[in-house]
Amino acid sequence: MKVLIVEDETDLCDVMKSFLEGEKYIVETADNYTSGLAKVANYDYDCILLDIMLPGGTGMELLAELRALGKDDSVIIISAKDSVEDKVEGLELGADDYLAKPFHLAELLARIKTVVRRKNHHGEQAIEFKDVKLFPEERKVLIGTDEVQLNRKEYDLFYYFMIRPEKLITKTSLAEAVWGDDADQSDNLDFIYSQIKNLRRKLKNHQAEVDFQAVYGIGYKLV
Amino acid sequence: MQVSLKNYTLRYLSIAFLIIITIWAALFYAFILEEVYDNVDDGLKNQKILILREVYAHPKLLETNEYGINQFRITPVEDENDFSEENRLDNEFFYMPYDDEMEPYRVLRTGFYAPDQKPYHLEIRTSTVEEDDLILNLTTALIVLYLVLVLGVYLINELVLRRAWRPFNIILENLNLYRFGKKDDLTVLSTNILEFNQLDEEIHRMWRRNEEVFDDQKRFIENAAHELQTPLAITINKLEMLMEDESLSENQLTQLADSKSSMKRLVNLNKALLMLSRIENKQYKDINQISLNQLVEEISKDFYDFLLFQDITLHVEEHTAFETSMNKDLALVMLSNLFRNAIRYNVKGGRISINIDQNQLSVANSGSPISLDQEKIFNRFHKGTQDSQSNGLGLAIVKSIVDSYSQLSIHYRFEDNMHIFSIKK
Repeated sequence: MKVLIVEDETDLCDVMKSFLEGEKYIVETADNYTSGLAKVANYDYDCILLDIMLPGGTGMELLAELRALGKDDSVIIISAKDSVEDKVEGLELGADDYLAKPFHLAELLARIKTVVRRKNHHGEQAIEFKDVKLFPEERKVLIGTDEVQLNRKEYDLFYYFMIRPEKLITKTSLAEAVWGDDADQSDNLDFIYSQIKNLRRKLKNHQAEVDFQAVYGIGYKLV
Repeated sequence: MQVSLKNYTLRYLSIAFLIIITIWAALFYAFILEEVYDNVDDGLKNQKILILREVYAHPKLLETNEYGINQFRITPVEDENDFSEENRLDNEFFYMPYDDEMEPYRVLRTGFYAPDQKPYHLEIRTSTVEEDDLILNLTTALIVLYLVLVLGVYLINELVLRRAWRPFNIILENLNLYRFGKKDDLTVLSTNILEFNQLDEEIHRMWRRNEEVFDDQKRFIENAAHELQTPLAITINKLEMLMEDESLSENQLTQLADSKSSMKRLVNLNKALLMLSRIENKQYKDINQISLNQLVEEISKDFYDFLLFQDITLHVEEHTAFETSMNKDLALVMLSNLFRNAIRYNVKGGRISINIDQNQLSVANSGSPISLDQEKIFNRFHKGTQDSQSNGLGLAIVKSIVDSYSQLSIHYRFEDNMHIFSIKK
C-alpha cells in the first residue's frame, strides 16, 4: 500500500509518516504544490492525503489536475479549515473524504482504510483478526461463522479496534469516534467503559479468541 | 420632565415676551402721559393769555365766577397771601353730566391784576385723559399683543421647525432601525440643511468605523483559531505516537493520556470558537426550508445509546411539523447541542420530553431542582457549577444560531421541575 502525503507542515507530515509506516504503509511526502503535482503525475498511489493550503497552489487545484490526468487515486483532503464550503467543494472535485485538523491518528487510519477499501472491489473485503471477521460494507461481524449482533455504537467502537489490533486505543480517541466532533469527556468515558463491557460480554458469549485488554485505565487493546 | 425642542424654546420665549412687554408698557405709559399733559398744559397757558386779553378789553368778564361754557372762572382774591402770578397746574375731578360721573380735568391756577388794580384768581380747566381707562385699555391691548405673539411663535415653531427638523427625525428613525451591518433598509437623508447633513455623515462614518473594528475582531478570532489547529494537530498526533511505545511505564502513559485529554479540550474549545465566528460571519449560506421534526428523529437515533446508558426516557410529542428556512447544518448543531445539554445535565433515570408544534419546538429535561439563571445561561463561557468539563459555549452557539435567523427566538423556563428550552417562530 502506497500513500502520498502532501503537507507543508513538516512536523505534521513527519508524525503522519512514521505512524503510517508503523502500520506497514509505504509513505512518500511532498511539501509543496509543484513537487506534489510531479509525484501524482508520475506514480500511482493507493491513497493521497492532501492539505488545502500549500506553497505554490492549493490542494483543490492539485486534485483537479489529478482528475484531469485521468487518475482515480483515492484522495483524502486534510485541512485546518473545517468549513462546509471546502468540504463540499473537495467532494465535488472528486475527493473521497475530508478530515479536519486536528485529528486522531486512529481516525486517519480508519478513513484511509475505508476509502481504499471502497476503491478496491477485488479481493477480500473483510478485516480479519484471529477468528473475527468484520465486513465494513455490511457493518457485520462474524466470529468463526456466528454473526454477532452489535448496536451502532458498539460496531463503531469495534471497527476502531479491528483496524488496529494489538495497539493501544485511548478512551479519548474512542469517545470522539462515537460521539463526534465536540465530544466532551467526562460523561463519555463512562459510556465507553460500559460499551466495552457489553462488547466483551458479546465476544465471550461467542467464545471468540479475541478480548479487550484494559491499559492502565487510559484505553484498551484488542488482543 | 422631557419637552420637545420647539416647546422648550417657546417656554423661554413666553417668559421673555412677558418681561419685555411689561417694561415697555410702563415706559410707553409714562411717555404718553408726559406728552398728553405737556400738550394740555400748553393749551391752558395759551388760553390764559387769550382770556387776560379779553378781560382787559371787556372788564365785565371779571364777573365770570362760575365754570360755564367758558371753562374758566375769575374770583377776587380775598387773602393777599394767597395771591401769586405763578402758573400752578393740577389734576382735579369735576362732575360731568354727559358721563354722569366725576371726570379728570387739568386745571391751571394763576393770579392777575385786573385793570382796576385789584388782584384776581384765574382758574382754567380742560378735560384730560382718564388714566385708569388708559391703563385698562393699554393693558388689554398688550395682553392681546402678548397672546398673539406667543401663539404666533408657537405656530411658526409648529410649521417651520417641524419642517426644518424633519431630517433630524429621519436620522433618529434610522438610528433606531439600524442593525449591525444592515444599512440597506434605512431612509436616505436628502436635505439642504448643512448641520443635519454633517450629523448624518458623522453617524455613518461612526457606523463604518465600528463595523470595521468588529469585523477585525471577528477575523482575528477566526484566524487565531485557524492557526492553532495545525500545532494542535501536531502535538496530539505526536503524543499518540509516543503512547505507542510499549516500554512506557503506567505513570508515563497516564501522564501522556492526561496531556492528550487536555489538548482535546483545547481542540474542542477552538472548534466551538471557530463555529461561533462562522455563524456570526454568516458563512452558512445555504438556506433551505427544513422540517425540524426529521432532524429530531435523526438526532434521537444518534443519541439512543447514550439515553439507554443513562437510563433516560425520551418522549417525543409531535403535533404538527415545525418548518422554517435555515441552514441544515446549523439546525443540526442547534438541536444536537440542546439534546446534548438535556442528557448531560440530566439525572440517572430521568426524562427528556420534546414537544413540537407548528410554531414551537421545546426540549424539556429533568435535572437539578433549581432554575437556571435565565439572564446568563446563553452567555459565552457561562458555566453551571456542577460541570468542569463543559466549555461553556454550547448554549452560546445555540443562541447565536437562533439570533442569525430573524424569525427564530429561544427561551428558557423552569416548570414542574423540568428545564425547558423552546425555540419559537
